[in-house]
Amino acid sequence: MEASFGVYYEKNSPIHQLDPRTKLLFMIAFIVCIFAANDMYAYLMLIGITVLSVIVSRVPILMVLKGLKPIFIIVIITTILNLFWTDGYTVLWSWWIITIYKESLIRAGMLALRIVILMACTSLYFSYTTTPIELTDGIETGLSFLKKIKVPVHEFAMMMTIALRFIPTLVEETSKIMNAQKARGADFSSGGLIKRAKALIPIIIPLFVSSFRRADELATAMECRCYRGGTGRTRMRVLKMKVKDYVFLLLTAGMIAGVILLNIYGKGYKV
Amino acid sequence: MSIVELKEINFIYGKKTPYEIKALDNINLKIEANCITGIIGHTGSGKSTLIQLLNGLIKADSGTVYLDGSDIWEKPKEISKIRFAVGMVMQYPEYQLFADTVREDIAFGPKNMGLDSEEIEKRVLQSAEFCGLDKDILDKSPFDLSGGQKRRVALAGVMAMNPKVLVLDEPAAGLDPKGRREILGGIKEFQRKSGTTVIIVSHSMEDMAMYCDRAIVMCHGKIVAHGTCCEVFSQHKLLLDVGLDVPEITGIILALREKGIDISDNIYTVDGAVEAIKSYYQSSKRERGV
Repeated sequence: MEASFGVYYEKNSPIHQLDPRTKLLFMIAFIVCIFAANDMYAYLMLIGITVLSVIVSRVPILMVLKGLKPIFIIVIITTILNLFWTDGYTVLWSWWIITIYKESLIRAGMLALRIVILMACTSLYFSYTTTPIELTDGIETGLSFLKKIKVPVHEFAMMMTIALRFIPTLVEETSKIMNAQKARGADFSSGGLIKRAKALIPIIIPLFVSSFRRADELATAMECRCYRGGTGRTRMRVLKMKVKDYVFLLLTAGMIAGVILLNIYGKGYKV
Repeated sequence: MSIVELKEINFIYGKKTPYEIKALDNINLKIEANCITGIIGHTGSGKSTLIQLLNGLIKADSGTVYLDGSDIWEKPKEISKIRFAVGMVMQYPEYQLFADTVREDIAFGPKNMGLDSEEIEKRVLQSAEFCGLDKDILDKSPFDLSGGQKRRVALAGVMAMNPKVLVLDEPAAGLDPKGRREILGGIKEFQRKSGTTVIIVSHSMEDMAMYCDRAIVMCHGKIVAHGTCCEVFSQHKLLLDVGLDVPEITGIILALREKGIDISDNIYTVDGAVEAIKSYYQSSKRERGV
């Protein structure tokens, strides 16, 4: 199974060392910036930030590009929709009922770019340079203020950790069961929709059974180690904001300011 | 006569990624028909990869697998025929059970073969008997059975396809000694009665010595020894070098030899050891003139 999600690329770059909370804040700011930016130069700046992040993180650029493969179709569809179904003033090319305007061409390009850098940056900061455990830790600590209004933040974070932890196990288990049923002559790739859906039963049932069994075992194991929820629980790795993180947040603030200023005063092409 | 033949097989996991592992390295192998062959090797030696090649669950990066003299990938669309001919019981097969009743689960393979219901019923009963399953179990849910019974149901499900070659990956893993004896004994009985070629993967040297006719030793994706059990187990040094143990009883015999007691070092079953020690005792008695 080829999923870019949850693929951690081990390196010791400055981005890997950042506190997950810093990355979360940055990503929120970055997403807002992408959608707020309406000036060509602001876009160039955001692209620059993405490229720079990839270089600093020392994640191979090919790996990042490969991770973009799953959204390729979405990008194509949105581009086509925007290209043909939006109006503009300057006609570039016209044939029969199809008319392409200069404005829609630019808009489509920008939108595609938005999706691409959004995906690239999110996967870079959240999966290539952050382990899932760090990420949930970051979410838990970052959102701990919600505990005051009785939101079970710890429980949610624990559920997320467990779910993430078992993705590879489930993938492995699925392929094992599929192999076992294939060995008994099961056929998953021919026949109509209903036949194919029926063919999945010999996989789904054992998968469910073993998931429940595993959940049961995990719960017992956790209780044996006296797990009783988040209250009074201490951590092995305590998250601590370092100078790096503050510097990075300052840069983030700079990015927001930059986008706002360029949106207002920028001389680039406005979208 | 060989029934399965592997020629210049190479298999690599995670090709062109940083995690590339060469699982099988230029394997050439002939597996004899009508006997039980054991494949031994420590974890990661390529045993499981090797057996998955035999029924086309995976395809080798290079090299050919022959069954009865013909390439199994000759007609890729008919690979399911190969899978019926080479029955495969995976590790912990009890986790693959899914049907409402034991009967239906055992019938899954034969049904996929397109047999008529009469033949299916016959095969279900036959293989259930081989695996030591009572008739009244057949209408129970497989999920209500004990671990050992579930394993036997899974085994029966593969046997019911009447394969020419039956491949078992660690059939006795995680069972108690009694369960081990029952499962492995049942397989041996099945082999003797049906004349099926059986391949067992294991890392228990004792089980291998007890139940197999021939043995293959694997290490780092290569075959380092292949022959009758006698031939393989007599290469003590090689077995120890590749990180395996000799069977416990052979270890004892070797220790006795080191103490200067002159008995054959070609012993790998308890019965054999008893005989050897008896004859040694008698001959030394004779020497001493008692």
